[in-house]
Amino acid sequence: MASILNKIAFKNFFNYYGDYEENTYDLEEGVNIIVADNGAGKSKFFNAFLWLFYDQILDSDTKQRVNVRNSGVKILSDKAKNETVINDRVECGVMLEYTRGTRYKYQIIKSFSATKINDSISDERSWQFLINDVEVNKTELVLHKYKPVYDESEKRQIIDHLIMPAFRKYSFLQGEEVDDIIDFGKRESIEEAVENLTDIKKYEKIHDLLSEFKEKAFKDLQKQLKANNAENERFDEAVKEKENIEEQLDHENQKLKEWQATYDTAEEEKNELDKQYASAEKRKELDDKLKPIRKKLREKKEEFETFLDRINNRFFDGNFAWIAMGFEDEVQKYRNLKEQFVERRYEKRALQNVEENPNEYFHFLPENSPDSVSLQNMIDDEHCYVCNREAKKGTAEHNNIVKLKNRPKDKQTEKPFVKNDLNNFFGDLQINAQPFYNKFDSIRDSVIKTKEKEVELKESIDKLKKQIKSIEDDRNSIMIAGYDAELSAKEIISNYNGAIRRREKANGKINDIIIPKINTFKKQIKAIEQEIKDLNKSNNIPTGYNQNYEVLNDLEEASQKAKDRVFDAMIQLLEKHANIHFKNLIKNNDLTGGILKFEKNPNGSINFNYIDSNGNTVHGSSEGFQRMKKFSVVMAIISANNSVYNYPLLADAPISAFGEGFTEGFFEAISDVFPQSIVLVKELYKREDEMKINELGKRLLKDGKVKTMYVNHVPENAEQIELVTSQTKLK
Amino acid sequence: MNAQEFKSLILSKRPRYAKSRIPVMEAFANKGQSKSEYSQFGPLYELYIYGFRLGLKKGLKLSLPPRNLTQDFLEIGKWKRDSSLVDFLLMIIFSHADEIGFDWNDLEDMEDKEINQVVSNIIEFIESYANGGLQYLQEEWENDNLINSSYLFVDLMNE
Repeated sequence: MASILNKIAFKNFFNYYGDYEENTYDLEEGVNIIVADNGAGKSKFFNAFLWLFYDQILDSDTKQRVNVRNSGVKILSDKAKNETVINDRVECGVMLEYTRGTRYKYQIIKSFSATKINDSISDERSWQFLINDVEVNKTELVLHKYKPVYDESEKRQIIDHLIMPAFRKYSFLQGEEVDDIIDFGKRESIEEAVENLTDIKKYEKIHDLLSEFKEKAFKDLQKQLKANNAENERFDEAVKEKENIEEQLDHENQKLKEWQATYDTAEEEKNELDKQYASAEKRKELDDKLKPIRKKLREKKEEFETFLDRINNRFFDGNFAWIAMGFEDEVQKYRNLKEQFVERRYEKRALQNVEENPNEYFHFLPENSPDSVSLQNMIDDEHCYVCNREAKKGTAEHNNIVKLKNRPKDKQTEKPFVKNDLNNFFGDLQINAQPFYNKFDSIRDSVIKTKEKEVELKESIDKLKKQIKSIEDDRNSIMIAGYDAELSAKEIISNYNGAIRRREKANGKINDIIIPKINTFKKQIKAIEQEIKDLNKSNNIPTGYNQNYEVLNDLEEASQKAKDRVFDAMIQLLEKHANIHFKNLIKNNDLTGGILKFEKNPNGSINFNYIDSNGNTVHGSSEGFQRMKKFSVVMAIISANNSVYNYPLLADAPISAFGEGFTEGFFEAISDVFPQSIVLVKELYKREDEMKINELGKRLLKDGKVKTMYVNHVPENAEQIELVTSQTKLK
Repeated sequence: MNAQEFKSLILSKRPRYAKSRIPVMEAFANKGQSKSEYSQFGPLYELYIYGFRLGLKKGLKLSLPPRNLTQDFLEIGKWKRDSSLVDFLLMIIFSHADEIGFDWNDLEDMEDKEINQVVSNIIEFIESYANGGLQYLQEEWENDNLINSSYLFVDLMNE
């Protein structure tokens, strides 16, 4: 009976402002995808389940899980907080509905109410919180009305049946948590996985019981032997020797335990550092990405400031000439005045000429007309070619031609006709000032263009800021709680190498010294036991004692072997399944040929490696690849189980470190393993797209395995108080 | 006096402003010295020209107080050197010859003394409109009517 989540709804829960109806996600069996950019409610969605199962939420600042009881202010929507009047109450909650099998449907509501006491809304002390009892309702699928469940243990059971606690770690994942699900360096971790899925615990119990019985049988036998052979020195000697060796064996076993502990600690440290190293590497990658963008932002900001600083320069710069705005009339007036001025000047000059030489200064012929060569010819030939008449030297006609020819020379000797000749002053002004008054038509455009340029600069600054914010969010999301983020790469490497050294030393001690010793002791004990048996063959001991001991001895050995076989078989099965899933996950990627290999360590832990097609172990792959490996095992743990897996997968950003090829494989693979999966992702989001999803998102939308797809939105550039998540159902 | 000498005569003048305008000058013509709340002009003459433009367009003519209550600054010839800005300003000013009280052609026949008077009237014309414009700006500023934007002065011009 698989549990299928049908609906989840929020009320004033973080950014999910408003009542349940406004924040409802209808979900179906199969793959459900919720696409959201950073800050658009992915982790908040996931928090609803943390609340449901554990009464906790994940504090996004500290990355620690905290009790809901102490985080009311953080959980309650800022907009709701702001809108609530003092002394008024506001509700916050999550509601979900799920069906189990074909008969029952359940509804679970977790909520609290908050009464506003004063206006500083982010202050814990401004609110009085009241956590409401969890509300659980139940109905048969054929009916429509829910009936409340009152019994507390039934309520708990209903919540647990959505995902059983033992399976939550495989079914309920958040980002890098996948890394923590299975730590192959720890025996307990893989054992726990195997335990959850097989009846290996029973084998262990049988083995423990049989060991106990065997001990007892031996003691009983010994008592009989002693009773019958009180005088037998050789027998006593043998028993003493056996005890002596057993003591040494105990001692070695003790040492083995200690060295195993050393090994485990070192291995654990190495694995922790592995993770940190991967995240440090990723962090560095993001930092490298951030650096040039930050530089660009600085430059743009400087450009923007300089730009603003220089706006007023445009009034006085001839290229912009804003100061000329509105002076059109003046310039026209100047032109008119100038014309008048020239005209009056001309008159003045003419008048003066007339006064001084009334007969000589009225030239109707323009200067150089006729040209001086022609005039010279006329003088030489004593003939006017203009009127084709004789002009003999000495006559008025001849003199007139000479005068015409001498015009330019006369002009140079012309007397000034005004006291202050300002003609050039006015002329030059008009010529020089052109850059300003020629711009009249374009000034308004120029102002508009300047404003546009400002907008453009602002936009590119905003864009860069957003890029930085997005990368910083990514960077924050890979910071693992509890680690010193600033631990340098050098320290990490040195600690890492130290852990490996200690691990190898422990391994050497265990394998080269202690285990051989233990084996020798065990062999010796076995030989002595045989000797003791032989020594007493002649003695008259009831056969039951001997047989009893022998049978139990064999049974104990058999049960130990059976337990080991089951464990080994399970590991093999896991390996097989993990490889199937891994192949599916990477099939869209260009990785080929390699396999995942599980190898048992002397201490019982499992080495888990990726072996390439040449049989070499691949180390130091990307974080995404490492996670993919582990995810394969998580899915293997589920699929290797004989029965069908009955719980939905809830995953927040499981693929944040994957490449696109992996992502596609991921969605295909989960649909084979989980009856239902609800996956919150950022990677499919594309702001510029009309549907807000990228090409891969669109491919998945068409995929029959994907049953529903939602996109979350938050208003761009909104104040925190107005940050409200809304959603569009694409499928 | 020829054209060149006449122009030099004008360019050698240092217009004055009332000392009461010093606060507004300090508030708006401060570029590069300190970050101010408002959009800034560079040198004083920029704000002065802007004030003149504002006064002239809004018809705000306000005579300067007695000389000891005023202060001079850079001579016109040094305003925005290597630019035709001053030429443009002179064009605007000479288009107001009527108001200043001279005739272009008459100038050409004047004695130096008379010309000096005309030039001094021109300077007074500049000063009183600049004074009017600056007073307007100062009042708007003191009454908090100025919206601080990078386009403050563009908008003010279009009002």
